[in-house]
Amino acid sequence: MNKSWMKRQSRLGYIFIGPNMLGVLLFFIIPAAYSFYLMFTDYKFMSPETHFIGLANIRRMLGDELFYVALKNTFVFLLAVPISIVLSFIVAVALNKSVYFQKTLRALYFMPYITSGVAVAFVWMLLFQPSSGPINGFLKGIGIAHPPGWLSTTGSSMYAIDIIWVWFMLGYNMIIYLAALQEIPEELMEAAKIDGARPWQIIRRIMWPLVSPTTFLLLITGLIMTIKNFGIIQAITQGGPGNSTTVLSLFIYQNAFRYYEMGYAAAISWALFVIIMIFTVLQWLGQKRWVHY
Amino acid sequence: MERVNTVEPATRNTPEIKADSFINIRKIIMTLIMSGFALLMIVPFVWMISTSFKSPADVFVYPIQWIPSSLNWEHHIKVWTGSDSFVTYYLNSLKISLISMIGAVFLSSFAAYGFARIQFKGREALFLVYLSMMMVPPQVLFVPKFIMFEWAGIYNTHWALILPGMFTIFGVFMLRQFFLTVPAEISEAAFIDGAGHFRIFFQLILPLAKPALATLAIIDFSWHWNDYENALVFLLDKDLYTVPLGLQNFILENNVDYNGMMAAATAGIIPMLIIFLIGQRYIIQGVAGSAVKG
Repeated sequence: MNKSWMKRQSRLGYIFIGPNMLGVLLFFIIPAAYSFYLMFTDYKFMSPETHFIGLANIRRMLGDELFYVALKNTFVFLLAVPISIVLSFIVAVALNKSVYFQKTLRALYFMPYITSGVAVAFVWMLLFQPSSGPINGFLKGIGIAHPPGWLSTTGSSMYAIDIIWVWFMLGYNMIIYLAALQEIPEELMEAAKIDGARPWQIIRRIMWPLVSPTTFLLLITGLIMTIKNFGIIQAITQGGPGNSTTVLSLFIYQNAFRYYEMGYAAAISWALFVIIMIFTVLQWLGQKRWVHY
Repeated sequence: MERVNTVEPATRNTPEIKADSFINIRKIIMTLIMSGFALLMIVPFVWMISTSFKSPADVFVYPIQWIPSSLNWEHHIKVWTGSDSFVTYYLNSLKISLISMIGAVFLSSFAAYGFARIQFKGREALFLVYLSMMMVPPQVLFVPKFIMFEWAGIYNTHWALILPGMFTIFGVFMLRQFFLTVPAEISEAAFIDGAGHFRIFFQLILPLAKPALATLAIIDFSWHWNDYENALVFLLDKDLYTVPLGLQNFILENNVDYNGMMAAATAGIIPMLIIFLIGQRYIIQGVAGSAVKG
Protein backbone atom coordinates (compact mmCIF):
# COMPACT_ATOMS: atom_id res chain seq x y z
CA MET A 1 0.00 0.00 0.00
CA ASN A 2 2.77 2.35 0.97
CA LYS A 3 4.51 1.81 -2.34
CA SER A 4 1.46 2.67 -4.42
CA TRP A 5 0.89 5.72 -2.24
CA MET A 6 4.42 6.88 -2.99
CA LYS A 7 3.84 6.30 -6.66
CA ARG A 8 0.65 8.31 -6.56
CA GLN A 9 2.45 11.08 -4.72
CA SER A 10 5.16 11.15 -7.36
CA ARG A 11 2.61 11.36 -10.13
CA LEU A 12 0.80 14.18 -8.36
CA GLY A 13 4.07 15.96 -7.74
CA TYR A 14 4.88 15.94 -11.42
CA ILE A 15 1.35 17.02 -12.33
CA PHE A 16 1.76 20.08 -10.14
CA ILE A 17 5.27 20.93 -11.25
CA GLY A 18 5.00 19.68 -14.83
CA PRO A 19 3.54 22.74 -16.56
CA ASN A 20 6.10 25.02 -14.98
CA MET A 21 8.89 22.54 -15.62
CA LEU A 22 8.03 22.49 -19.30
CA GLY A 23 8.53 26.24 -19.50
CA VAL A 24 11.73 26.16 -17.49
CA LEU A 25 12.99 23.47 -19.84
CA LEU A 26 12.02 25.41 -22.97
CA PHE A 27 13.05 28.89 -21.92
CA PHE A 28 15.93 28.26 -19.52
CA ILE A 29 17.54 24.84 -19.69
CA ILE A 30 17.50 24.20 -23.45
CA PRO A 31 18.60 27.76 -24.35
CA ALA A 32 21.38 27.53 -21.76
CA ALA A 33 22.60 24.24 -23.25
CA TYR A 34 22.28 25.66 -26.76
CA SER A 35 24.26 28.73 -25.77
CA PHE A 36 26.96 26.52 -24.32
CA TYR A 37 27.24 24.80 -27.69
CA LEU A 38 27.24 28.10 -29.58
CA MET A 39 30.26 29.21 -27.59
CA PHE A 40 32.37 26.74 -29.59
CA THR A 41 31.03 27.77 -33.02
CA ASP A 42 31.39 30.73 -35.36
CA TYR A 43 27.60 31.08 -35.62
CA LYS A 44 26.54 34.35 -37.21
CA PHE A 45 22.95 35.27 -37.81
CA MET A 46 22.03 34.90 -41.51
CA SER A 47 25.34 33.29 -42.41
CA PRO A 48 24.80 30.06 -44.34
CA GLU A 49 27.38 27.91 -42.59
CA THR A 50 28.38 27.32 -39.02
CA HIS A 51 31.61 25.67 -38.02
CA PHE A 52 32.82 24.12 -34.84
CA ILE A 53 35.84 26.20 -33.93
CA GLY A 54 36.76 24.87 -30.51
CA LEU A 55 38.13 27.41 -28.10
CA ALA A 56 38.75 30.09 -30.74
CA ASN A 57 36.01 32.36 -29.34
CA ILE A 58 37.49 32.20 -25.86
CA ARG A 59 40.97 32.90 -27.24
CA ARG A 60 39.56 35.81 -29.20
CA MET A 61 37.87 37.18 -26.11
CA LEU A 62 41.05 37.00 -24.04
CA GLY A 63 42.89 38.89 -26.76
CA ASP A 64 40.12 41.44 -27.32
CA GLU A 65 41.07 44.87 -26.03
CA LEU A 66 37.41 45.83 -25.81
CA PHE A 67 36.73 42.91 -23.49
CA TYR A 68 39.12 44.40 -20.96
CA VAL A 69 37.65 47.86 -21.43
CA ALA A 70 34.24 46.32 -20.73
CA LEU A 71 35.59 44.57 -17.63
CA LYS A 72 37.05 47.82 -16.33
CA ASN A 73 33.77 49.67 -16.96
CA THR A 74 31.87 46.87 -15.25
CA PHE A 75 34.12 47.25 -12.23
CA VAL A 76 33.40 50.99 -12.08
CA PHE A 77 29.68 50.23 -12.47
CA LEU A 78 29.84 47.78 -9.55
CA LEU A 79 31.31 50.50 -7.31
CA ALA A 80 27.78 51.89 -7.13
CA VAL A 81 26.71 48.85 -5.08
CA PRO A 82 28.76 49.37 -1.89
CA ILE A 83 28.15 53.13 -2.04
CA SER A 84 24.42 52.59 -2.27
CA ILE A 85 24.56 50.07 0.58
CA VAL A 86 26.33 52.45 2.96
CA LEU A 87 23.96 55.32 2.13
CA SER A 88 20.89 53.11 2.47
CA PHE A 89 22.08 51.88 5.87
CA ILE A 90 22.30 55.48 7.07
CA VAL A 91 18.83 56.22 5.72
CA ALA A 92 17.41 53.04 7.26
CA VAL A 93 18.87 53.82 10.70
CA ALA A 94 17.45 57.34 10.50
CA LEU A 95 14.02 56.13 9.42
CA ASN A 96 13.91 53.17 11.78
CA LYS A 97 12.79 54.83 15.01
CA SER A 98 13.61 58.47 14.97
CA VAL A 99 11.23 60.12 12.47
CA TYR A 100 7.57 60.96 12.12
CA PHE A 101 5.72 59.88 8.94
CA GLN A 102 8.01 56.87 8.66
CA LYS A 103 5.83 55.09 6.10
CA THR A 104 5.50 58.08 3.80
CA LEU A 105 9.23 58.74 3.87
CA ARG A 106 9.96 55.08 3.26
CA ALA A 107 7.72 55.14 0.20
CA LEU A 108 9.44 58.24 -1.19
CA TYR A 109 12.89 56.67 -0.89
CA PHE A 110 11.63 53.49 -2.49
CA MET A 111 9.93 55.15 -5.44
CA PRO A 112 12.91 55.15 -7.87
CA TYR A 113 13.21 51.39 -7.56
CA ILE A 114 9.65 50.63 -8.60
CA THR A 115 9.62 53.12 -11.47
CA SER A 116 12.89 51.79 -12.79
CA GLY A 117 13.45 51.48 -16.45
CA VAL A 118 14.19 53.61 -19.43
CA ALA A 119 11.79 56.39 -18.48
CA VAL A 120 13.87 57.53 -15.53
CA ALA A 121 17.03 57.00 -17.56
CA PHE A 122 15.85 59.62 -20.03
CA VAL A 123 15.00 62.02 -17.23
CA TRP A 124 18.55 61.70 -15.91
CA MET A 125 19.90 62.21 -19.41
CA LEU A 126 18.37 65.69 -19.43
CA LEU A 127 19.25 66.42 -15.82
CA PHE A 128 22.88 65.70 -16.71
CA GLN A 129 22.79 67.81 -19.88
CA PRO A 130 26.28 69.34 -19.78
CA SER A 131 25.90 72.88 -21.10
CA SER A 132 22.66 74.03 -19.52
CA GLY A 133 21.02 71.10 -17.71
CA PRO A 134 19.65 71.63 -14.21
CA ILE A 135 22.52 69.85 -12.43
CA ASN A 136 25.25 71.85 -14.09
CA GLY A 137 23.07 74.94 -13.87
CA PHE A 138 23.03 74.45 -10.13
CA LEU A 139 26.77 73.75 -9.96
CA LYS A 140 27.53 76.89 -11.95
CA GLY A 141 25.10 78.78 -9.74
CA ILE A 142 27.09 77.89 -6.62
CA GLY A 143 30.30 79.04 -8.27
CA ILE A 144 31.77 75.95 -9.94
CA ALA A 145 32.96 77.37 -13.24
CA HIS A 146 33.73 74.09 -14.99
CA PRO A 147 31.33 71.38 -13.84
CA PRO A 148 31.87 67.84 -15.18
CA GLY A 149 30.51 66.84 -18.57
CA TRP A 150 28.71 63.86 -16.97
CA LEU A 151 27.41 61.53 -19.67
CA SER A 152 29.06 63.47 -22.49
CA THR A 153 32.75 62.90 -21.73
CA THR A 154 34.61 59.60 -21.61
CA GLY A 155 36.21 60.35 -18.26
CA SER A 156 32.99 61.02 -16.36
CA SER A 157 30.28 59.01 -18.13
CA MET A 158 30.63 55.82 -16.09
CA TYR A 159 30.48 57.80 -12.85
CA ALA A 160 27.34 59.55 -14.01
CA ILE A 161 25.81 56.11 -14.58
CA ASP A 162 26.94 55.17 -11.06
CA ILE A 163 25.05 58.13 -9.62
CA ILE A 164 21.87 57.02 -11.39
CA TRP A 165 22.39 53.47 -10.17
CA VAL A 166 23.00 54.49 -6.54
CA TRP A 167 19.81 56.54 -6.66
CA PHE A 168 17.94 53.57 -8.12
CA MET A 169 19.21 50.90 -5.69
CA LEU A 170 19.04 52.97 -2.51
CA GLY A 171 15.36 52.41 -1.79
CA TYR A 172 15.59 48.67 -2.28
CA ASN A 173 18.55 48.30 0.08
CA MET A 174 16.86 50.56 2.60
CA ILE A 175 13.73 48.37 2.73
CA ILE A 176 15.82 45.28 3.43
CA TYR A 177 17.84 47.10 6.09
CA LEU A 178 14.66 48.34 7.79
CA ALA A 179 13.43 44.75 8.02
CA ALA A 180 16.77 43.65 9.45
CA LEU A 181 16.92 46.51 11.98
CA GLN A 182 13.51 45.57 13.29
CA GLU A 183 14.86 42.18 14.29
CA ILE A 184 17.53 43.62 16.58
CA PRO A 185 16.36 42.95 20.15
CA GLU A 186 15.26 46.12 21.87
CA GLU A 187 16.99 45.06 25.11
CA LEU A 188 20.40 45.37 23.47
CA MET A 189 19.88 49.02 22.62
CA GLU A 190 18.31 49.77 25.98
CA ALA A 191 21.24 48.19 27.80
CA ALA A 192 23.71 50.18 25.72
CA LYS A 193 21.81 53.38 26.43
CA ILE A 194 21.83 52.70 30.16
CA ASP A 195 25.57 52.09 29.97
CA GLY A 196 25.84 55.58 28.51
CA ALA A 197 26.53 54.73 24.86
CA ARG A 198 26.21 57.63 22.41
CA PRO A 199 23.84 57.16 19.43
CA TRP A 200 26.86 56.98 17.12
CA GLN A 201 28.38 54.22 19.26
CA ILE A 202 25.12 52.27 19.21
CA ILE A 203 25.02 52.48 15.43
CA ARG A 204 28.70 51.63 15.04
CA ARG A 205 29.03 48.94 17.72
CA ILE A 206 25.56 47.33 17.81
CA MET A 207 23.48 47.99 14.71
CA TRP A 208 26.16 47.73 12.00
CA PRO A 209 27.67 44.44 13.28
CA LEU A 210 24.26 42.89 13.89
CA VAL A 211 23.03 43.61 10.36
CA SER A 212 26.28 42.37 8.81
CA PRO A 213 24.63 39.26 7.32
CA THR A 214 22.15 41.56 5.59
CA THR A 215 24.95 43.81 4.37
CA PHE A 216 26.72 40.82 2.92
CA LEU A 217 23.55 39.54 1.26
CA LEU A 218 22.81 42.97 -0.21
CA LEU A 219 26.36 43.27 -1.47
CA ILE A 220 26.28 39.95 -3.33
CA THR A 221 22.74 40.23 -4.71
CA GLY A 222 23.44 43.85 -5.64
CA LEU A 223 26.62 42.90 -7.49
CA ILE A 224 24.78 40.16 -9.39
CA MET A 225 21.84 42.40 -10.24
CA THR A 226 24.14 45.20 -11.40
CA ILE A 227 26.41 43.05 -13.51
CA LYS A 228 23.41 41.66 -15.40
CA ASN A 229 21.88 45.05 -16.13
CA PHE A 230 22.40 46.91 -19.35
CA GLY A 231 19.01 48.48 -20.07
CA ILE A 232 19.67 51.90 -18.58
CA ILE A 233 23.07 52.20 -20.26
CA GLN A 234 21.82 51.00 -23.63
CA ALA A 235 18.95 53.48 -23.45
CA ILE A 236 21.02 56.55 -22.57
CA THR A 237 24.50 56.11 -24.06
CA GLN A 238 24.54 52.86 -26.09
CA GLY A 239 27.94 52.32 -24.49
CA GLY A 240 29.40 55.67 -25.51
CA PRO A 241 30.91 58.17 -25.72
CA GLY A 242 33.60 56.03 -27.33
CA ASN A 243 33.40 52.80 -25.37
CA SER A 244 33.40 54.54 -22.03
CA THR A 245 30.14 53.01 -20.76
CA THR A 246 30.32 49.64 -22.52
CA VAL A 247 29.92 47.25 -19.61
CA LEU A 248 30.24 43.50 -20.04
CA SER A 249 26.52 42.77 -20.33
CA LEU A 250 26.10 45.51 -22.92
CA PHE A 251 29.19 44.27 -24.77
CA ILE A 252 27.49 40.87 -25.11
CA TYR A 253 24.29 42.44 -26.37
CA GLN A 254 26.16 44.54 -28.93
CA ASN A 255 28.17 41.61 -30.25
CA ALA A 256 25.05 39.50 -30.58
CA PHE A 257 22.53 41.95 -31.97
CA ARG A 258 24.52 44.78 -33.48
CA TYR A 259 27.33 42.79 -35.14
CA TYR A 260 25.48 39.42 -35.17
CA GLU A 261 28.62 37.72 -33.84
CA MET A 262 26.45 35.32 -31.92
CA GLY A 263 28.98 32.57 -31.27
CA TYR A 264 31.40 35.12 -29.90
CA ALA A 265 28.64 36.74 -27.84
CA ALA A 266 27.77 33.35 -26.36
CA ALA A 267 31.39 32.89 -25.27
CA ILE A 268 31.45 36.28 -23.50
CA SER A 269 28.09 35.57 -21.90
CA TRP A 270 29.59 32.48 -20.27
CA ALA A 271 32.41 34.63 -18.92
CA LEU A 272 29.68 36.72 -17.31
CA PHE A 273 28.15 33.52 -15.93
CA VAL A 274 31.49 32.57 -14.36
CA ILE A 275 31.68 35.92 -12.58
CA ILE A 276 28.12 35.50 -11.28
CA MET A 277 28.95 31.99 -10.14
CA ILE A 278 31.95 33.28 -8.19
CA PHE A 279 29.69 35.81 -6.45
CA THR A 280 27.19 33.07 -5.66
CA VAL A 281 29.82 30.74 -4.22
CA LEU A 282 31.10 33.64 -2.10
CA GLN A 283 27.56 34.07 -0.83
CA TRP A 284 27.30 30.41 0.18
CA LEU A 285 30.63 30.51 1.96
CA GLY A 286 29.84 33.84 3.55
CA GLN A 287 26.42 32.82 4.79
CA LYS A 288 27.99 30.05 6.84
CA ARG A 289 30.58 32.35 8.35
CA TRP A 290 28.71 35.61 8.77
CA VAL A 291 25.41 34.60 10.27
CA HIS A 292 26.37 34.84 13.89
CA TYR A 293 23.17 35.04 15.85
CA MET B 1 7.62 34.31 6.64
CA GLU B 2 7.29 36.82 9.45
CA ARG B 3 9.45 36.19 12.43
CA VAL B 4 7.76 36.40 15.80
CA ASN B 5 8.81 39.54 17.58
CA THR B 6 10.99 38.53 20.48
CA VAL B 7 10.48 41.75 22.37
CA GLU B 8 7.65 41.74 24.86
CA PRO B 9 6.04 45.16 25.18
CA ALA B 10 6.30 44.83 28.95
CA THR B 11 10.10 44.85 28.87
CA ARG B 12 10.12 48.44 27.67
CA ASN B 13 10.72 50.62 30.67
CA THR B 14 8.51 53.54 31.55
CA PRO B 15 10.88 56.49 30.92
CA GLU B 16 11.05 55.48 27.27
CA ILE B 17 7.25 55.62 26.95
CA LYS B 18 7.17 58.98 28.68
CA ALA B 19 9.73 60.43 26.29
CA ASP B 20 7.64 59.22 23.36
CA SER B 21 4.55 61.00 24.51
CA PHE B 22 6.21 64.42 24.52
CA ILE B 23 6.89 66.27 21.34
CA ASN B 24 10.38 65.14 20.64
CA ILE B 25 12.60 67.93 19.28
CA ARG B 26 15.27 65.56 18.09
CA LYS B 27 12.67 63.50 16.24
CA ILE B 28 11.30 66.60 14.53
CA ILE B 29 14.76 67.65 13.38
CA MET B 30 15.48 64.17 12.06
CA THR B 31 12.14 64.16 10.24
CA LEU B 32 13.00 67.46 8.58
CA ILE B 33 16.45 66.29 7.52
CA MET B 34 15.18 62.99 6.16
CA SER B 35 12.33 64.74 4.34
CA GLY B 36 14.92 66.96 2.71
CA PHE B 37 16.83 63.96 1.40
CA ALA B 38 13.59 62.29 0.37
CA LEU B 39 12.77 65.34 -1.74
CA LEU B 40 16.18 64.99 -3.36
CA MET B 41 15.25 61.40 -4.26
CA ILE B 42 12.06 62.41 -6.02
CA VAL B 43 13.39 65.59 -7.61
CA PRO B 44 13.89 63.83 -10.97
CA PHE B 45 10.18 62.95 -11.05
CA VAL B 46 9.12 66.45 -10.08
CA TRP B 47 11.42 67.98 -12.68
CA MET B 48 10.09 65.56 -15.29
CA ILE B 49 6.46 66.44 -14.72
CA SER B 50 7.17 70.14 -14.43
CA THR B 51 9.21 70.15 -17.66
CA SER B 52 6.50 68.30 -19.55
CA PHE B 53 4.21 71.30 -19.00
CA LYS B 54 6.75 74.05 -19.71
CA SER B 55 7.28 75.97 -22.90
CA PRO B 56 10.47 74.97 -24.78
CA ALA B 57 12.21 78.22 -23.85
CA ASP B 58 11.79 77.57 -20.12
CA VAL B 59 13.29 74.05 -19.95
CA PHE B 60 16.78 74.98 -18.84
CA VAL B 61 16.08 78.35 -17.22
CA TYR B 62 18.09 78.76 -14.07
CA PRO B 63 17.08 79.04 -11.24
CA ILE B 64 14.78 76.12 -12.04
CA GLN B 65 11.11 77.00 -12.42
CA TRP B 66 9.45 74.21 -10.46
CA ILE B 67 5.99 75.47 -11.33
CA PRO B 68 5.68 76.28 -15.04
CA SER B 69 4.63 79.84 -15.80
CA SER B 70 1.87 78.48 -18.02
CA LEU B 71 0.47 74.97 -18.43
CA ASN B 72 1.38 73.70 -21.89
CA TRP B 73 -0.64 70.60 -22.64
CA GLU B 74 0.55 70.32 -26.24
CA HIS B 75 3.49 68.04 -25.36
CA HIS B 76 1.19 65.53 -23.72
CA ILE B 77 -1.21 65.78 -26.64
CA LYS B 78 1.67 65.05 -29.00
CA VAL B 79 2.64 61.97 -27.02
CA TRP B 80 -0.86 60.56 -26.96
CA THR B 81 -2.10 61.42 -30.43
CA GLY B 82 0.93 61.67 -32.74
CA SER B 83 1.80 59.23 -35.53
CA ASP B 84 3.34 56.85 -32.95
CA SER B 85 0.78 57.25 -30.24
CA PHE B 86 1.39 55.96 -26.73
CA VAL B 87 -2.12 54.45 -26.84
CA THR B 88 -0.70 51.59 -28.94
CA TYR B 89 2.28 51.13 -26.63
CA TYR B 90 0.04 51.10 -23.56
CA LEU B 91 -2.25 48.47 -25.05
CA ASN B 92 0.72 46.32 -26.08
CA SER B 93 2.38 46.60 -22.67
CA LEU B 94 -0.88 45.98 -20.87
CA LYS B 95 -1.57 42.87 -22.92
CA ILE B 96 1.92 41.44 -22.46
CA SER B 97 2.20 42.31 -18.77
CA LEU B 98 -1.27 41.08 -17.82
CA ILE B 99 -1.16 37.73 -19.63
CA SER B 100 2.40 37.04 -18.48
CA MET B 101 1.55 37.96 -14.92
CA ILE B 102 -1.59 35.82 -14.73
CA GLY B 103 0.27 32.89 -16.25
CA ALA B 104 3.24 33.37 -13.96
CA VAL B 105 1.16 33.53 -10.77
CA PHE B 106 -0.87 30.49 -11.75
CA LEU B 107 2.01 28.31 -12.94
CA SER B 108 4.34 29.34 -10.11
CA SER B 109 1.79 28.63 -7.42
CA PHE B 110 1.14 25.18 -8.86
CA ALA B 111 4.84 24.33 -8.99
CA ALA B 112 5.51 25.90 -5.60
CA TYR B 113 2.80 23.71 -4.05
CA GLY B 114 4.42 20.65 -5.62
CA PHE B 115 7.81 21.60 -4.24
CA ALA B 116 6.54 22.57 -0.79
CA ARG B 117 3.78 20.10 0.03
CA ILE B 118 4.13 16.91 -2.01
CA GLN B 119 6.74 14.29 -1.18
CA PHE B 120 8.11 12.66 -4.29
CA LYS B 121 11.25 11.16 -5.67
CA GLY B 122 13.70 13.57 -7.23
CA ARG B 123 12.07 16.63 -5.72
CA GLU B 124 15.20 18.05 -4.09
CA ALA B 125 17.31 17.46 -7.20
CA LEU B 126 14.71 19.16 -9.37
CA PHE B 127 14.56 22.13 -7.03
CA LEU B 128 18.31 22.43 -7.20
CA VAL B 129 18.09 22.60 -11.00
CA TYR B 130 15.56 25.42 -10.61
CA LEU B 131 17.83 27.30 -8.24
CA SER B 132 20.86 26.87 -10.46
CA MET B 133 18.94 28.43 -13.34
CA MET B 134 18.68 31.60 -11.24
CA MET B 135 22.42 32.00 -11.71
CA VAL B 136 22.24 32.02 -15.49
CA PRO B 137 22.19 35.66 -16.66
CA PRO B 138 19.69 36.66 -19.35
CA GLN B 139 22.63 37.46 -21.66
CA VAL B 140 23.41 33.76 -21.91
CA LEU B 141 19.86 33.04 -23.04
CA PHE B 142 19.23 35.92 -25.48
CA VAL B 143 21.01 34.43 -28.51
CA PRO B 144 19.62 30.88 -28.30
CA LYS B 145 16.14 32.21 -27.56
CA PHE B 146 16.43 34.53 -30.54
CA ILE B 147 17.36 31.59 -32.79
CA MET B 148 14.64 29.35 -31.31
CA PHE B 149 11.94 32.00 -31.59
CA GLU B 150 12.95 32.79 -35.14
CA TRP B 151 12.68 29.09 -35.96
CA ALA B 152 9.32 28.72 -34.19
CA GLY B 153 7.94 31.79 -35.91
CA ILE B 154 7.26 33.79 -32.75
CA TYR B 155 10.18 36.21 -33.12
CA ASN B 156 8.79 39.73 -33.58
CA THR B 157 5.42 38.77 -32.06
CA HIS B 158 4.14 39.43 -28.56
CA TRP B 159 4.35 35.70 -27.86
CA ALA B 160 8.14 36.02 -27.73
CA LEU B 161 7.64 38.05 -24.54
CA ILE B 162 4.48 36.48 -23.16
CA LEU B 163 5.44 32.80 -23.31
CA PRO B 164 8.79 33.06 -21.50
CA GLY B 165 7.25 35.72 -19.25
CA MET B 166 4.87 33.15 -17.78
CA PHE B 167 7.74 31.31 -16.14
CA THR B 168 9.47 32.88 -13.21
CA ILE B 169 11.86 30.89 -11.06
CA PHE B 170 11.84 33.66 -8.50
CA GLY B 171 8.04 33.28 -8.24
CA VAL B 172 8.27 29.53 -7.60
CA PHE B 173 10.96 30.15 -5.01
CA MET B 174 9.04 32.89 -3.23
CA LEU B 175 5.69 31.03 -3.11
CA ARG B 176 7.38 27.82 -2.02
CA GLN B 177 8.84 29.70 0.95
CA PHE B 178 5.35 30.91 1.79
CA PHE B 179 3.65 27.53 1.41
CA LEU B 180 6.25 25.99 3.71
CA THR B 181 5.09 28.31 6.49
CA VAL B 182 1.51 26.99 6.34
CA PRO B 183 1.25 24.45 9.18
CA ALA B 184 1.14 20.82 8.00
CA GLU B 185 -1.72 20.03 10.40
CA ILE B 186 -4.10 22.07 8.28
CA SER B 187 -3.71 19.87 5.23
CA GLU B 188 -3.45 16.69 7.33
CA ALA B 189 -6.87 17.36 8.78
CA ALA B 190 -8.23 17.82 5.27
CA PHE B 191 -6.56 14.59 4.12
CA ILE B 192 -8.33 12.68 6.87
CA ASP B 193 -11.60 14.20 5.67
CA GLY B 194 -10.83 12.67 2.29
CA ALA B 195 -9.65 15.72 0.37
CA GLY B 196 -6.98 15.28 -2.29
CA HIS B 197 -4.09 17.56 -3.16
CA PHE B 198 -6.11 19.48 -5.73
CA ARG B 199 -8.87 20.36 -3.28
CA ILE B 200 -6.37 21.27 -0.59
CA PHE B 201 -4.47 23.45 -3.04
CA PHE B 202 -7.48 25.32 -4.37
CA GLN B 203 -9.64 25.50 -1.26
CA LEU B 204 -7.13 25.71 1.54
CA ILE B 205 -3.70 26.84 0.48
CA LEU B 206 -4.50 29.37 -2.25
CA PRO B 207 -6.95 31.38 -0.12
CA LEU B 208 -4.38 31.45 2.68
CA ALA B 209 -1.70 32.61 0.26
CA LYS B 210 -3.62 35.62 -1.05
CA PRO B 211 -1.13 38.21 0.28
CA ALA B 212 1.81 36.30 -1.18
CA LEU B 213 0.00 35.90 -4.50
CA ALA B 214 -0.82 39.61 -4.57
CA THR B 215 2.82 40.44 -3.88
CA LEU B 216 4.04 38.22 -6.68
CA ALA B 217 1.37 39.56 -9.04
CA ILE B 218 2.38 43.18 -8.46
CA ILE B 219 6.13 42.57 -8.62
CA ASP B 220 5.80 40.39 -11.71
CA PHE B 221 3.56 42.91 -13.46
CA SER B 222 6.02 45.70 -12.77
CA TRP B 223 8.87 43.61 -14.19
CA HIS B 224 6.99 43.08 -17.41
CA TRP B 225 5.85 46.68 -17.59
CA ASN B 226 9.42 47.97 -17.14
CA ASP B 227 11.05 45.25 -19.23
CA TYR B 228 13.10 46.94 -21.88
CA GLU B 229 15.80 44.37 -22.60
CA ASN B 230 13.62 41.48 -23.80
CA ALA B 231 11.47 43.80 -25.90
CA LEU B 232 14.62 45.25 -27.44
CA VAL B 233 15.85 41.81 -28.46
CA PHE B 234 12.61 40.17 -29.56
CA LEU B 235 10.47 42.93 -31.09
CA LEU B 236 11.09 44.70 -34.38
CA ASP B 237 7.89 46.29 -35.69
CA LYS B 238 6.82 49.64 -34.33
CA ASP B 239 3.19 48.65 -33.94
CA LEU B 240 4.29 45.87 -31.57
CA TYR B 241 6.38 48.17 -29.36
CA THR B 242 5.85 48.19 -25.61
CA VAL B 243 6.02 51.39 -23.56
CA PRO B 244 9.82 51.32 -22.95
CA LEU B 245 10.55 50.75 -26.64
CA GLY B 246 7.98 53.32 -27.68
CA LEU B 247 9.58 55.77 -25.31
CA GLN B 248 12.99 55.12 -26.81
CA ASN B 249 11.57 55.52 -30.29
CA PHE B 250 9.90 58.79 -29.34
CA ILE B 251 13.15 60.12 -27.91
CA LEU B 252 15.17 59.13 -30.98
CA GLU B 253 12.72 60.88 -33.24
CA ASN B 254 12.25 64.00 -31.09
CA ASN B 255 15.70 64.41 -29.66
CA VAL B 256 15.56 68.16 -29.37
CA ASP B 257 12.01 68.33 -28.05
CA TYR B 258 12.86 68.16 -24.34
CA ASN B 259 9.30 68.94 -23.26
CA GLY B 260 7.93 66.15 -25.42
CA MET B 261 10.57 63.76 -24.07
CA MET B 262 9.52 64.48 -20.52
CA ALA B 263 5.83 64.18 -21.39
CA ALA B 264 6.64 60.75 -22.86
CA ALA B 265 8.67 59.77 -19.79
CA THR B 266 5.73 60.83 -17.62
CA ALA B 267 3.45 58.60 -19.66
CA GLY B 268 5.89 55.72 -19.08
CA ILE B 269 6.13 56.19 -15.33
CA ILE B 270 2.60 57.11 -14.26
CA PRO B 271 1.14 53.55 -14.31
CA MET B 272 3.93 52.27 -12.08
CA LEU B 273 3.43 55.18 -9.69
CA ILE B 274 -0.28 54.41 -9.45
CA ILE B 275 0.33 50.71 -8.91
CA PHE B 276 2.92 51.55 -6.27
CA LEU B 277 0.53 53.85 -4.41
CA ILE B 278 -2.21 51.21 -4.40
CA GLY B 279 -0.09 48.13 -3.74
CA GLN B 280 2.65 49.70 -1.63
CA ARG B 281 2.09 47.38 1.31
CA TYR B 282 2.39 44.24 -0.80
CA ILE B 283 5.39 45.49 -2.73
CA ILE B 284 7.38 46.51 0.32
CA GLN B 285 6.50 43.33 2.22
CA GLY B 286 7.40 41.23 -0.77
CA VAL B 287 10.73 42.91 -1.30
CA ALA B 288 11.64 42.80 2.37
CA GLY B 289 10.47 39.22 2.86
CA SER B 290 12.11 37.76 -0.19
CA ALA B 291 15.57 39.06 0.52
CA VAL B 292 15.86 38.68 4.27
CA LYS B 293 15.04 35.01 3.92
CA GLY B 294 17.22 34.89 0.80
